[in-house]
Amino acid sequence: MIEVQGITKRYGPFVAVKDLSFSVGEGRVLGFIGPNGAGKTSTMRVLTGFLPASEGSAKIAGFDVFEKPMEVKKRVGYLPETPPLYQELSVGDYLQFVAELRGITGAESLKRIGEVMERVGLRGWERRILGSLSKGYRQRVGLAQALIHQPPVLILDEPTSGLDPAQMVGVRKLISDLRQDHTVVLSTHILREVEALCDDVVVINKGELAAKGTLDEVRLAHAPVRYRIGLPGVDLDKAANAVGALDQVAQVRLVDGGLEVSSPEDPRVAIAATVVNAGWALQSLERLAPSLEDAFLSLVGAEGELL
Amino acid sequence: MRAVWTLLKKELKVTFVTPLAYVFLGVFLFLAGLFFYMGIVMTGEASLRVMMGNLAISLLFVLPMLTMRHFAEEQKAGTFELLMTSPISPVALILGKWLSSMVMCSLMLIGTLVFPIVLEVYGDPDWGIIFTSYIGLFLVCGAFTAAGLFASSLTNDQVAAGMGGIVLLLPFWLIGNADALVGDGLQDWLDKLALLPHLRGFTRGVVDSADVAYFVAFAFVFLFLTYRTLESRRWR
Repeated sequence: MIEVQGITKRYGPFVAVKDLSFSVGEGRVLGFIGPNGAGKTSTMRVLTGFLPASEGSAKIAGFDVFEKPMEVKKRVGYLPETPPLYQELSVGDYLQFVAELRGITGAESLKRIGEVMERVGLRGWERRILGSLSKGYRQRVGLAQALIHQPPVLILDEPTSGLDPAQMVGVRKLISDLRQDHTVVLSTHILREVEALCDDVVVINKGELAAKGTLDEVRLAHAPVRYRIGLPGVDLDKAANAVGALDQVAQVRLVDGGLEVSSPEDPRVAIAATVVNAGWALQSLERLAPSLEDAFLSLVGAEGELL
Repeated sequence: MRAVWTLLKKELKVTFVTPLAYVFLGVFLFLAGLFFYMGIVMTGEASLRVMMGNLAISLLFVLPMLTMRHFAEEQKAGTFELLMTSPISPVALILGKWLSSMVMCSLMLIGTLVFPIVLEVYGDPDWGIIFTSYIGLFLVCGAFTAAGLFASSLTNDQVAAGMGGIVLLLPFWLIGNADALVGDGLQDWLDKLALLPHLRGFTRGVVDSADVAYFVAFAFVFLFLTYRTLESRRWR
């Protein structure tokens, strides 16, 4: 559905995106993650036809975004980082305007406006002035605007930024409902959100591709594997020293009721032997599921800032 | 061209739900009243000649203030991103915005119709001249709003766009009075480019096709430049 081929975006001498390629299959939800300033917004702007790429090409639904921008624009719903609202207009007038921009008129537009308002939880808000809405409601209007023409592709730039936790849950639920009939690309800082919503992940750092694949592929390939050792009633400092001395163990951390170690190769047999030889009680020894957060941190390094 | 209509409606809605439109109408009609009074006192004629000339010059300062928000504000508020990612052509966008300014101008000019009516009540004005004067002023509005729109497309700062529009238009006024500096020979040429010499005919009851062509070309050139500015974003 979306094909990105070697996109580079320069602003003068500054390279915002460098030789980025990825693709998104139909009906998939792609999480686009990276630290602030990694080039997420620039990439999304290229995909929506708002900005031209300096090099490379992108296709959406088979149409090149540069050569056939009109065809692409008809098929894409886009929520920019700041919802593009006219402060002076009411919610109803605004959605009416967007519908008409999209070529939807008359009874059809009223029907669609009703549908999207219902969908994003704005029922009964037609007459409110956009400038008076709170951040969460502005975001909802932004989403409604992106959905009004039932586009096959949705591009959402940080759809949950600035929302309170309850609103975040609402928007996430909305996005997971959307996956049935839309291909979605969303950018975010919130990795839990990606784990909850996305099928595929693209990680970029300083404009360059750091990792891509399904959620599990990225987690497995890039998160350091960690093991948890349950040691009830044992002097954990002493145990940490003993386990840390093993060749297979890279790092040891004290956690509640035991230790957590990270290690490139499976250290479980060695750990079990060490613990038993020391005469400690070994309650459990398990491999932890790799988390996206670990993968992300190992990909973007300590410079990556997280929210 | 349904997109033009959609954009025109939106612009008018935004203009008329804010105090902006009313402030403009008020200021413009106040100025018109002042010039009307001055004209009557100075000449003692039942004509609008003085008012028309002065209004044309005040439009040079007023209209860039009306058009400055068009692209500058859209860029600042991020709504420009909505427009540019919608399936509408830049031409429709520019025409919608320009026509909305022309609707405002028409309202401003309609408001001034009270002055010829006053003349009719107390004197015997030449309605032919009044009619051609209004045609001239309307053409001036088209030219000035086009230039203002162009200034607005260059920046995302409204004040810079407004001042830029004025700076863009000022030379076209000033070169009409440069004979002391450049001599009569060159002045004849400058008069072909200057604004007011082309308005003179209209205020005397003459509609010269060359004058009409001047204002139409003026508006067209600036609308075209606006188009090129928007279009150039695709190549940057």
